[in-house]
Amino acid sequence: MYRYDAVDRLLVEERAAQFRGQTERFLKGELSEDAFKPLRLQNGLYVQRHAPMLRVAIPYGMLSSDQLRVLGRIAREYDRGYGHFTTRQNIQYNWVEIARVPDILDELAAVEMHGIQTSGNCIRNTTTDHLAGVAADEIVDPRPYCELMRQWSTFNPEFAFLPRKFKVAFNGAGQNRAATGVHDLAFDLKLDAAGEVVMDVMAGGGQGRTPRIGPVIKRDLPWREMLTYTEAVLRAYNRWGRRDNLYKARIKILVESIGAERFAADVEDEWRHLKGGIARITDEEFQRINACFTDPAYLSDDEASADLSGLRVQHKRFDAWLRRNVVAHKRAGYAAVTLSLKRTGPAPGDATDTEMERAADLADRFSFGELRVSHHQNLVLAHVARKDLFDLWQAAEAAGFAEPNIGLVTDIIACPGGDFCALANARAIPIATAIQERFDAAKQEAIGELAVKISGCINSCGHHHVGHIGVLGVDKNGEEWYQILVGGRSDNEVTLGTILGRSIKFDEVPGMVERLVDVYLNAREGEERFIDTVGRIGIAPFKAAAYPDKVQAA
Amino acid sequence: MSEIIRIANKRIAVENDGWLLLNEAGADVWPEGDVIVPLADWLARRDTLKSRTGRTGVWLAPADDTLSLKDAFDGLALIAVQFPKFTDGRGYSHATLLRRRLGWTGELRAFGEVLRDQLFYMARTGFDAFVVPDGLKAEALTGGLNDFSVAYQDAVVDPAAPALANRAAAVREAKIARTTHQLQKIAAKHPDAIFATSLSAEDMVITDLIARHSLPIHITTLDTGRLHPETLGMIGEVKSKYGIDIEVMHPVAEAVEAHVATHGAFAFYESLELRKACCGIRKVEPLNRALSGRSAWLTGQRRDQAVTRVHLPEAEHDEARGMAKYNPLADWSWDDVLAYAARFDVPLNPLHARGYPSIGCEPCTRAIRPGEDPRAGRWWWEQADAKECGLHVGPDGTLTRTNLESAA
Ligand code: SF4
Ligand code: SF4
Repeated sequence: MYRYDAVDRLLVEERAAQFRGQTERFLKGELSEDAFKPLRLQNGLYVQRHAPMLRVAIPYGMLSSDQLRVLGRIAREYDRGYGHFTTRQNIQYNWVEIARVPDILDELAAVEMHGIQTSGNCIRNTTTDHLAGVAADEIVDPRPYCELMRQWSTFNPEFAFLPRKFKVAFNGAGQNRAATGVHDLAFDLKLDAAGEVVMDVMAGGGQGRTPRIGPVIKRDLPWREMLTYTEAVLRAYNRWGRRDNLYKARIKILVESIGAERFAADVEDEWRHLKGGIARITDEEFQRINACFTDPAYLSDDEASADLSGLRVQHKRFDAWLRRNVVAHKRAGYAAVTLSLKRTGPAPGDATDTEMERAADLADRFSFGELRVSHHQNLVLAHVARKDLFDLWQAAEAAGFAEPNIGLVTDIIACPGGDFCALANARAIPIATAIQERFDAAKQEAIGELAVKISGCINSCGHHHVGHIGVLGVDKNGEEWYQILVGGRSDNEVTLGTILGRSIKFDEVPGMVERLVDVYLNAREGEERFIDTVGRIGIAPFKAAAYPDKVQAA
Repeated sequence: MSEIIRIANKRIAVENDGWLLLNEAGADVWPEGDVIVPLADWLARRDTLKSRTGRTGVWLAPADDTLSLKDAFDGLALIAVQFPKFTDGRGYSHATLLRRRLGWTGELRAFGEVLRDQLFYMARTGFDAFVVPDGLKAEALTGGLNDFSVAYQDAVVDPAAPALANRAAAVREAKIARTTHQLQKIAAKHPDAIFATSLSAEDMVITDLIARHSLPIHITTLDTGRLHPETLGMIGEVKSKYGIDIEVMHPVAEAVEAHVATHGAFAFYESLELRKACCGIRKVEPLNRALSGRSAWLTGQRRDQAVTRVHLPEAEHDEARGMAKYNPLADWSWDDVLAYAARFDVPLNPLHARGYPSIGCEPCTRAIRPGEDPRAGRWWWEQADAKECGLHVGPDGTLTRTNLESAA
């Protein structure tokens, strides 16, 4: 993991001190609500439906067990005993008091964490593959590049007041697990013929009201120029992005309005002045950061391996867990294990203070004290020796993290929705629960991989556009209604889902999901996954099943 | 007339401003005196504007094309950039392009919604003048310029090292700032805080910071009666350089005499017990006297000084003495100390230059050879893990040897 040096430490400390001053001025009435707003937003503090909400950055999803314990303690001492892991690899606290936020920031600073730029119209927390550094299909470890981006974008003076928020993502693996296609700016890392790291750059992707897949604007960018090129992109966006209409202010609208080619040419033009300049990454700085991401002290594959076949036969649930929650690691003796935060009942991604502490203990015992937060809102132990898998499974069962449902229909992504979020049209969490209740273990196993994603409004924090089945909360005369989408995906073949038809009521949603699943089960050929079947048979059969009473126009 | 904040040579000044800003483009005649005209007028009527009496500046609105000022600087006295709303960040790109791309070196002023918490960003993109908005006070804004001591990115005007390009320099800068913040916090929290200096280079750095920031931290030193004359000389150096009187603590004379009478003047070479007894009389007791009744003390200990100090915290509780203890240089290296001393012209004990990185009493300290451990010259006849004088004790009153095993 990246470890702070005096520079990083000083900046988070000074930021916490600055925010303490701003909060004091606000509470004394010296700073207006309007002037305080962008300042608190850039520290992750929103005012929500019920109370202020604090969003804490988990840079590219990496956490140490000590950090997670502090997150748990903050949940207990400053909130109502739980936190919510988000689709952007952050954590949110829903019930903080404004006056105590400076204290929380001090506590976070002490463990090298912060809420800097987790909201507001600025460059947000960088996200990446939750299997970075361990994935068997990894080509380039994206973490040092994420960290360079974190530092460059933190308090970047030119880009603190952009037209709108700006999200950056990295992928360095064969299978894209970082949904880079739907980010404002994204980097796909690969190796050129000489073995040097180069990047394909995409700009102008995003979800929300106008979902777009980001077009590639640059191929084979040399890694040392990653920041000079980013500067060129951001300068173009800062100068020419629309500021007159909130809904047209994201970079995707700029890219689309002038066309990806013209945008790429403009950026290239600007970049000519910047490349090779002071923001070019030095070998020394890269080495310093890269050295933080070395492998832990793995056992040899022989020492780490074990024959689990007997245990698999004996313990059916262990077997299911191995198939669903455990994935291959670049070392044959190791595996990456997902701790499921998708239990029927609690909101997807929620964890209590004690759960965070238990997960931290598991990380210490089984995974070198390190965890990741996935954009699927689960926790990941990335370095588990295979010989420890049975022990870990038992401990995870006891702690409530062993639901063998990763990638299945109950592993639902959902935003906080109407229960918490001031912008919501409809609730998302109870919809998730209602769907989860329809599918027992046997049924979801039979269905196989199926990504259900729910957003409470068009801002799309729940990634509904790229769900195999997407659910979107809409407002009709002040009532909550839902639109259903089918066919979205966020992997290598990133695709936006298609809206099936008119919106439906809360109670109709679980039944509709079941009908869509039945269409798949009836049409499935061989090992085909839901999304493959959609690809083969198209949307029409799903539309027909979705609205059985309605006569479909040809 | 409005107030304007200026930064020149890293100093902040507040002045009255006599420039008149003309909002509307398209004028044919201009008032007397110094005026700032819209970009369109400057581009269209440059020659006329240049021939008038009084200086001319130009102002840019967010949507203006910065690069249209290329080759149009001649005759311009200043460039002003409008921030109609502070959330409109286009002005930062104007500034960056003017300074970097077009090479503008004259005054660059921000006007409009120029608020405290934006000043830092503005200064870093190259603004050096800030028009104080109506209804605000300059003093309420300038604090924003000092919120951050280092930055990851390079800045147009601030020569402070960007961390991404020169980490080593930025780290040094950051350590100085962090130590300063810590000293300020300690002074605020403990009005009775006392700094026990051994007059070493580390302790001279802390003394310099205390003096530089006029912190109300009392300074004391222990004259064991066996110090080098060079070390004692530092007390006068501090007085003449900083005007600070260091309080000098002495051992109890009778105790010293009794010890010498019984064991001789060089008993410390004979056994660890006798060495510790001597340190007890000459150092520990006077220090305890100096600390007694206070709520906090400070030391110049560093983690990489000794195997006994690798886990040294920046702040700890001295349980044996029931008070707070701070080690504000915990993460400094010896090179950091020397670099600070050189940069700020801090007087140093001349023994450092003669091969003594760590200096104690004269009979118990020798110079070290290149490559030797820095503390090899202290009680050099003893084992490394015993080399503490007894000033730094654990909760039970024994020497602190935090995690010696893991360090060894
Ligand atoms: S999608 Fe809408 S309702 Fe859900 S968290 Fe985002 S803004 Fe709130
Ligand atoms: S350092 Fe040597 S002379 Fe000084 S007090 Fe200790 S034992 Fe005595």
